Amino acid sequence: MDKSLLSDVPQVAIWIARVVVIFGGLVTTAALMSLAERKVSAWMQYRYGPNRVGPFGLLQPLADGLKFLFKEELIPAGANKLLFRLAPAMAAIPSMMTIAVIPIGTLVIDGDTIPLSIAPGVDLGIMYMLALGGLAVYGAILGGWASNSKYSLMGGLRASAQMISYELSLILSILVAVVLSGSLDLTKIVEAQSHGFWNVFTPFGFVAFVLFTIASFAETNRHPFDFAECEPELVGGFHTEYSAMRFALFFLGEYCAMTVMACLNVTLFLGGPSLPFLENTPWWLGIPVFLLKAAFFLFLFIWVRWTLPRFRFDQLMRLGWKVALPIALANLLVAGAWVAFTTKGG
Amino acid sequence: MTKIQINGRELEVDPKQPLIRACHDHGVDVPMYCYHPGLQAVGSCRICQVEVAGAPGQPSRVVAACRTPVSEGMVVQTDTPKAHETRRECLEFLLKNHPLDCPICDKAGECDLQDYSYNEGQGKGRSSEPRRKLHKRKSLGDVIVLDEERCILCSRCVRFFTDVTKKAQLTVEGLGSRSVINTFMDKPLEGNYQGNLADICPVGALTSKKFRFQARVWNLSKSLSTCAECSRGCSISVESLRGKEVKRFRPRYNAAVNQWWMCDTGRHALAPVTRALAPAGAVLGGRLTGAAVRGYNGLEARATEDTLPLVADMLATHSGATLVLSPFATEEEGKAALELARALGARPQFLSPAPNGLKDDLLHTGDPCPNRRGLTELGFEPVEPAALLAQLATAPAAVLAGERVLELVGHDGLAKLPSKLRLVAFDLEAADHACLHMAISVPTHVEKAGHWTNVDGHRGVLNVAVAPPAGVRRLDQSLQTLTRLLAGVSSKA
Amino acid sequence: MVVVGRKELTLAERLYLPEVMRGLALTFGKFFEKPITRQYPEEPLPTDEVTRGQPRLVVKDDGNIACVSCGMCEIACPAYAITIDGGETDRAIEREPKKFEIDMLRCILCGFCEEACPKDAIFMSNELELADYTRAALVYDLEKLRRPKSALQRRIDYVYKLSARWRRAK
Repeated sequence: MDKSLLSDVPQVAIWIARVVVIFGGLVTTAALMSLAERKVSAWMQYRYGPNRVGPFGLLQPLADGLKFLFKEELIPAGANKLLFRLAPAMAAIPSMMTIAVIPIGTLVIDGDTIPLSIAPGVDLGIMYMLALGGLAVYGAILGGWASNSKYSLMGGLRASAQMISYELSLILSILVAVVLSGSLDLTKIVEAQSHGFWNVFTPFGFVAFVLFTIASFAETNRHPFDFAECEPELVGGFHTEYSAMRFALFFLGEYCAMTVMACLNVTLFLGGPSLPFLENTPWWLGIPVFLLKAAFFLFLFIWVRWTLPRFRFDQLMRLGWKVALPIALANLLVAGAWVAFTTKGG
Repeated sequence: MTKIQINGRELEVDPKQPLIRACHDHGVDVPMYCYHPGLQAVGSCRICQVEVAGAPGQPSRVVAACRTPVSEGMVVQTDTPKAHETRRECLEFLLKNHPLDCPICDKAGECDLQDYSYNEGQGKGRSSEPRRKLHKRKSLGDVIVLDEERCILCSRCVRFFTDVTKKAQLTVEGLGSRSVINTFMDKPLEGNYQGNLADICPVGALTSKKFRFQARVWNLSKSLSTCAECSRGCSISVESLRGKEVKRFRPRYNAAVNQWWMCDTGRHALAPVTRALAPAGAVLGGRLTGAAVRGYNGLEARATEDTLPLVADMLATHSGATLVLSPFATEEEGKAALELARALGARPQFLSPAPNGLKDDLLHTGDPCPNRRGLTELGFEPVEPAALLAQLATAPAAVLAGERVLELVGHDGLAKLPSKLRLVAFDLEAADHACLHMAISVPTHVEKAGHWTNVDGHRGVLNVAVAPPAGVRRLDQSLQTLTRLLAGVSSKA
Repeated sequence: MVVVGRKELTLAERLYLPEVMRGLALTFGKFFEKPITRQYPEEPLPTDEVTRGQPRLVVKDDGNIACVSCGMCEIACPAYAITIDGGETDRAIEREPKKFEIDMLRCILCGFCEEACPKDAIFMSNELELADYTRAALVYDLEKLRRPKSALQRRIDYVYKLSARWRRAK
């Protein structure tokens, strides 16, 4: 048998299968995150959490989704109807699209290697992610503005201010990984770490990892930096006026963004699907390892939310501009210098 | 007039009346059980004792106010500790054998014994002997039930028959602690005035079989009215449960007409005012609430406002209509009917059924038309049912107006009338007679305000005791509308 | 003037991260402790004799209702929730309710009816749940209000104990 198992399957079918698996996985993860958020918070507070729908409440996301679908959609009087309708999509779709360049691992079927990624080997993968990630904030800003509500407007404003403040640190810490791996292609970054030496093991890699983690909290509007929503002051912030499925889309977008951030963190600093200190990680172990690492970061998002109180807005700004940004800049300089001096022919 | 002093007030009182009347007439509260202003005073219960100052140098005395005539210069104290103490001792004896069953007793709420026990009595009896065990529900005829345990032997009921109906039927039987009220030879009570016993009994010993356990008296809303059963027009109060369902008629003191009494016929005449409504959407099988018009499928329900123009059109095209008013029509309705009669060119008549043979010497006149005198004075002529049927047999159209008018004319006679007679009835109920083309609902006499003039010329008042059912219009208003519509139709013609 | 002294933060505290770690460790520890939530419909709250739930009518041991429809509760009710129509019976106690309705939507569970009752016929039960689809269904009639005496015995004993104390106090 010369022919491999997959040689008769058209390439398009494999593409579609990858898209379906990864995209479906992302949306499912986002849905399950809504359950996980409630379950984890309950366990931390001596409660049970949702346990009525399905075994251990596992069908709760389904019930919630159905409820959102059947609820009445309200559009406030005086709202900009077009932008009001567009905003949830603007929040959800870019977040979902960014998953495309994340290399989750590889499948080896009968000798054929299939990268488990929608768009593997994109040269400017990181640029693509950052560009789309930057778009996601428009959802919050537009939603806040189009609602014609003071709370929403404040929420939108804060979202944009916060996004600008932390995107800098975020990008600077990503650049450390780029510098260390020498590529903007995420697949290459993973490959560079695949021999057991992760980016996080270097001192500047570690600093960048911590900064990236902090900035990803701010970037996804999560506690302790969720000023765009901020229930006590802004009654939900940019989504105060939203209801039904549009409201749900904002949440879907938030959870998707969290999932992608977790994946990106794993990819950039924790070696993607590889195990530490091993020369070669078998392909069948790679995917579960990647997922486990990403799951830890998702758990961390929830864990932090139910542990830390929300910052004050000025504290957030001070941390972003006066602490994170200088450290990230210095860190990048050190990393660059180190790479420049240690790499031969560089 | 005699000058006396009661509780420090100088008063002029009627020398023919006992001291208790002098007190009551001047707003001084003196309790009473056996005394009743309409009955001979016997002074058996002793609850009305008051303190009267003695001659100069003599101590004051306690006397029973019901048996003491007033005398010039009498000084009476009703509120002194001595008077209270005497009454309290007396009350303790009265309560010796009285059972504590106010929760069950129908009199509760309007019971003199309950009120005075609450005001003056003591919380506990001192007697250790058991109470008397006697008949709890002894039937005294069709109207009254006797509870011997509750009786305090005031003998008001005994005196009612001897003083008011002049035919003794009750007596106090037995002696001392074995005394009970009973009829002679255990015969049931008879006569048309037994119901008054339930009113005059100061405790719950004599209760009305019809009203027994029907309602708590404090839930009854009372409204001044006039009895509809004969031309005496006794003053009554209409008592309805929570303002909805009429539960009883009770006499109301009116010196000019009925004093404190009324007959059982009037007292129990609840059926005409508590008729069930016709089923929703139907016009037969109960009280009519809107109007009914004969169509292809017999009588069909309509709104009153839509029916009156039809009546006007019909009366305008069929001239020579007969107009007959019910004997229960009030003065106000009579005036409205006169206008209509003038517009129709009809002779104003009112239906006068034959005397019903209930006439007696006391109150009942035997004439079932409570407003005969009022309607006659307005210019209405009485017409007997038989004579009316003869008139209708040849008439082109007729208007019969007022509650129960169809029933009083007689359904048998009406059924025989030809369908070419255009009959319009303003009545409580419609009936499926071929001649009845239109029927319009009216309120009963407890649902309308107005006046009836009784046989002696006394003008009795009617008040709205319960609201008429939705859709029922006042008869005088309906007739006025009709007159106006008729004028409009004829002016157009 | 009051001066509130603020604690000077140490370097570790100012760095946030160690304190954040401490916080995370704390919440993670709580993760494995037993929940204290009550699973309500399955695990109802245990009621005490002091519980003043919905009023219920006592059915005596002989199967007859203890109520004689005297109307005291109807008058005592501050919310006008009770409507009683009496009627006659052949038993030694001649009066009984033909209609006894408590509009549970009006009832404010004050217990005045229980206090007013001269016949020990109405007591506040330990029943607390009240939900239905129509208003009419929440006007409880005789059938829905009847409870055997044994079911209310604990409350009856308690009310007797309580009133004995009042009487002593007077």
